Amino acid sequence: MKTRIVLYIIFLLLAFSKSSFSNDQELENKINKNLRCLICQGQSIYDSQSDFAESMKLVVKQKIESGMSEEEIYSFFKIQYGEWILYDPQLNTKNLALWLLPILVFLVGGIIILTKFGVLKKRL
Amino acid sequence: MILNYLGNFALLFCLIISLVIFITSISSLNNKNFFLKKNLIELLFFKFFFTVLSFSSLIILFIISEFSNETVLNNSHISKPLFYKISGTWGNHEGSLLLWLLVLTFFAFFYFLNSKNRPTDERLLTILFQEVIILGFLFFLLKASNPFNIIYPVPKEGLGLNPILQDPLLAIHPPVLYLGYVTTSIVFSSSLAGLIKGNINNLWAKDIKKWVFISWTFLTLGILLGSIWAYYELGWGGFWFWDPVENISLMPWLSLTALVHCVLALEKRSILHSWTVILSIITFTLGICGTFLVRSGILNSVHTFANDPERGLYILFFLFFLIFLSVFIYFIYEDKFELNNKNLNLYTKETSIILNNWFVMYFLSVILIGTVYPIFLEVLSNEKISVGPPFFNKLIIPFLIPFLIFMSIGPNLKWIKNNYFSKKLKLITIFILSIILSTLVSKFFGNTALNITILLAASFYLFIITIKDLIKKGFKNYSQTISHFGFSLLVLSVLLNSIFSNEITSNMRVGDEIKFSDKIIKLQKLENTTEANFLKLIAYFKIEEKNKTELVLEPEIRIYDKPETITSEAAIKTDIFKDRFLVINLVKENEYLNVRYQEKPFMLWIWISAIIISLGGIINIFKKNEKQIL
Repeated sequence: MKTRIVLYIIFLLLAFSKSSFSNDQELENKINKNLRCLICQGQSIYDSQSDFAESMKLVVKQKIESGMSEEEIYSFFKIQYGEWILYDPQLNTKNLALWLLPILVFLVGGIIILTKFGVLKKRL
Repeated sequence: MILNYLGNFALLFCLIISLVIFITSISSLNNKNFFLKKNLIELLFFKFFFTVLSFSSLIILFIISEFSNETVLNNSHISKPLFYKISGTWGNHEGSLLLWLLVLTFFAFFYFLNSKNRPTDERLLTILFQEVIILGFLFFLLKASNPFNIIYPVPKEGLGLNPILQDPLLAIHPPVLYLGYVTTSIVFSSSLAGLIKGNINNLWAKDIKKWVFISWTFLTLGILLGSIWAYYELGWGGFWFWDPVENISLMPWLSLTALVHCVLALEKRSILHSWTVILSIITFTLGICGTFLVRSGILNSVHTFANDPERGLYILFFLFFLIFLSVFIYFIYEDKFELNNKNLNLYTKETSIILNNWFVMYFLSVILIGTVYPIFLEVLSNEKISVGPPFFNKLIIPFLIPFLIFMSIGPNLKWIKNNYFSKKLKLITIFILSIILSTLVSKFFGNTALNITILLAASFYLFIITIKDLIKKGFKNYSQTISHFGFSLLVLSVLLNSIFSNEITSNMRVGDEIKFSDKIIKLQKLENTTEANFLKLIAYFKIEEKNKTELVLEPEIRIYDKPETITSEAAIKTDIFKDRFLVINLVKENEYLNVRYQEKPFMLWIWISAIIISLGGIINIFKKNEKQIL
């Protein structure tokens, strides 16, 4: 019985550690893909093998191990290197046009279509 | 040495002929005197001939490694294999512009030969606009990027071609892409000419359609080739990175895709006259705009190989000139458009084409804004931001879902009037089926986010419906059904690929092994060899799968000497259902190798589906010809 419990606990631990490892790995890859390698030509640190990228990857790994969340890691890098390092532009005042302009194009396109073709307007 | 002069003088002759055509065609337009008609074809032919002469001289200069030529000096060296000496001709800025000019003069000639059923004044005007473009490129070539600059004293050895450009696929990628870009210039010129002469109607659409499809097909194939190259050469294991240079090739493709549909609506239903002209202008300017952004070095991209701000300035000026010219012409002759107050019914093919254009233009604007916004922000506020894949995914995926659904239903509707409700039950049944299918796939094979599951459902829907159309309609409209089927296969393969891709990264020494799901990856040995122009380090990996045969993968690291570059050559084993992708990198001051092993499902189907898409275009080009003969 005792051995059974011990085995069970070991199994649980193994299962847990394995899943947490793969989750960490996935998170690490995801973060690495969203960080720009600053000395490369348009590559993420995930895709680059430069010294800079390699050391950045280590930092990301450490930060994850120390329990920082994805967002915290991004803001850490943002403070260190500026917004240039993030591949996912944030929604703030200076990027407002970046996010809203395409939507605006879509809406204006829709309005033009509706006003040009009368029958559509009648139907709707 | 003599070839330098030959090439240069051929270009000068070309310039003279171009000026002659330009001036005489203007005067013959005013005098209604068409004496030029007989001579024009000869002049166009000679212009083409001289460009061929110039281009051939450059190729020969590359083959014989004549380093008195600056372009050869900067982009070639003696020990380079012959094949890459030839492809090196257009693997650089000057040579690629000369190739652009070559294609441009060829198509001007070819257009004139093949447009006999168009009114003479419209043809002359088209040639006139072509000459404006050709002159722009000729001046640029001769002033700012002459491929025949002479260097004295003659150096003994060249500086070499960037090794990652030494690749068979990349040798044919630029010419194919250029064929696509340059054909859009014919569409541009012809639409402006048609606009001035008030000829934009269904007959014009019927004739220009062929050119639109030629351009679209080449562009599709060109982008495909570039994407395959990036997949195996850049060693990232991806095929699309939302990189600025890739985006720039995608933008004209998107507006051409809109044009392909719009020109059909103009042909069949005589609607969207002005929109067709606007799209033609947009497509061509996007092509030139792409050249500007790539050549000026403004973009921060892995694909930036050669750039020069001064050249960028010239192209920018030329670009603004063309935009100004076309906008000017558009507003002056706008009233020549046929008025159309046609009432459209909601459930018709034309409505779905308008919907298509609406969404495609949205996708285009996302990519355009995402690519140029960081540039403007940096100029205006000196702040640097990066716009990467997450941005594009967030803005495109939600709109892709309705787009795919409309794309499924659209081709099933008829022109003018449609009894939509007769098919409603079938379409809804398939829709429910697709939702079930996608839920099953994402539940059992991966934990995918809700938006991806919905997107998967939409693409299953399109996939099933296009298969149904392919079987049911058969030969009735097969160029459309094949292209649409290809597109649905593409979306589905890309989605499944991104959901089910799997990978492991590790540092390994000889003798090490790592576990990856049910496989064991072993690094068996390393081997050094010397090739013609590089040193090669081959690593032998064995992948053991349970109850299965072993697989040996041999990735390489190449160390080129001219210019000194280290590249990684991925080892890829392609199967019907998945690719196994292994790439190694040197870790500095360490005996370890950095190893990345990836399993990527349905890679082959991404390439195949893009080929199927362009196959539809090819069929349309030839189908048209048959009709004209009859």
